Amino acid sequence: MKCEQISELLPDYLQGGLSPDQHHTVEAHLQQCVDCSEEVAVWRKLSLLPVEQPSPMSRVRFEAMLQAYQAGRSNEPASGPSWKKRPSSWNFFHWLRSPFGAAAWSAALLVIGVFAGFRMAGPKPLSPDIAEIQKELASTKQLVVLSMLQQQSASARLEGVSWSTREQQLNPQVLSALLHTLRYDPSVDVRLAALDALSRHSTQPQVRNSVVNALQEQQSPLVQVALIDQLVEWHDREAKPHLEKLRQSQDLNPAVRQRADWAISKLN
Amino acid sequence: MLQVRDGAGEMLGVLFDRYQTPLFNFYSKLTGDRTLSEDLVQEVFLRILKYRQSYRPGTPFRAWVYQIARNARIDHFRKFPRERAFEPEMLPPVVPTDSAQEHQEAELLHRALLQLPEDKREILLLCRFQELKYEEIAKLLGCELNTVRTRIHRALQELRKSFHQLTEATLKQANAAAPENLPPRGGRHEV
Repeated sequence: MKCEQISELLPDYLQGGLSPDQHHTVEAHLQQCVDCSEEVAVWRKLSLLPVEQPSPMSRVRFEAMLQAYQAGRSNEPASGPSWKKRPSSWNFFHWLRSPFGAAAWSAALLVIGVFAGFRMAGPKPLSPDIAEIQKELASTKQLVVLSMLQQQSASARLEGVSWSTREQQLNPQVLSALLHTLRYDPSVDVRLAALDALSRHSTQPQVRNSVVNALQEQQSPLVQVALIDQLVEWHDREAKPHLEKLRQSQDLNPAVRQRADWAISKLN
Repeated sequence: MLQVRDGAGEMLGVLFDRYQTPLFNFYSKLTGDRTLSEDLVQEVFLRILKYRQSYRPGTPFRAWVYQIARNARIDHFRKFPRERAFEPEMLPPVVPTDSAQEHQEAELLHRALLQLPEDKREILLLCRFQELKYEEIAKLLGCELNTVRTRIHRALQELRKSFHQLTEATLKQANAAAPENLPPRGGRHEV
């Protein structure tokens, strides 16, 4: 095969995305062609480039940015109409980096804090700014959970599941991500954690249905037992026929069958 | 109130810990400028905070982050156009040493990478270091999947040439500087 044809396959070869046949074709070509094999060698050598570490100040600046952003949002309504002209949070952050800015901002914060303290001291309904911040916070949490559930490492996904439990009300997207995790995550631990997180939301019909359906799909005895226990805990009588079906399935782990029998007697 | 504030910080902190080093490396290998790279990383996290509503759940998060990262860099250079492009000639010459051959190769490769046009350098970084899939890169750059493959191939070809030239130049320099280290040639055998 000519270099031109190989060059179409080469990028996928480098990322390991070729079929075994194509892979062999490329390997055979590389044995004979110096140019193409050098190209592959350069790609591999790129791993020699060191991973550079950002300076520790980077984290400090990040924290400062975060505080400035949040202070900017939370102080806006409390500061009253005389503070209408406020710089945007980005300029604000630049400004904050100068020593003068830092000092001025600290003083301003103190004044605003005292002012806000007086205003909020009396009985007052939940102000719209706090509601707004809570809403924002919920969406950040959601972002973290969704991103972590997509991670390669099981421990990161596990962490993602545990993040989701910090929220009383599950957002539909997070809920569906958790249900997906319960069904398809390759790690038993992560599936168990997802079940645990979902167990708090038994009022959602979707959750119950998924747990019942998972009974037939899951192969791991650990997960099966956890699912059965969950159904018993919910006193889900509708799950009985599904449990019957499960205990009749062949190749079922004896411990799981025993658990299913116990659950059926409990649900009677 | 404080609790709310700390809560959000903690959460974005998780993302920061996960992405700051890959993002920093993306920028530093792209621009060769550490300080600028740190600034841009900060800008990316500010944008994540500001525009988090625009993330569509179910789409790859990593790709979304790099979309933001690319835009942050483009906006930066729009606001502050570079006075002069980075020139690898400004770097001190690589001193060849046998003991650290790998280190030397890495240094030459780094220079070869910096000699590439920016778009080629960027696509190599995205697929080699940021571990984005070709489909994700195609979406990011707004082009066809096959175009991505072709561009990667061309970028790699060019990188190979630069690397080759740099290696040869370094070898020549080494031989010129230390002729006494060369093995003796054509010596007479005396019996």
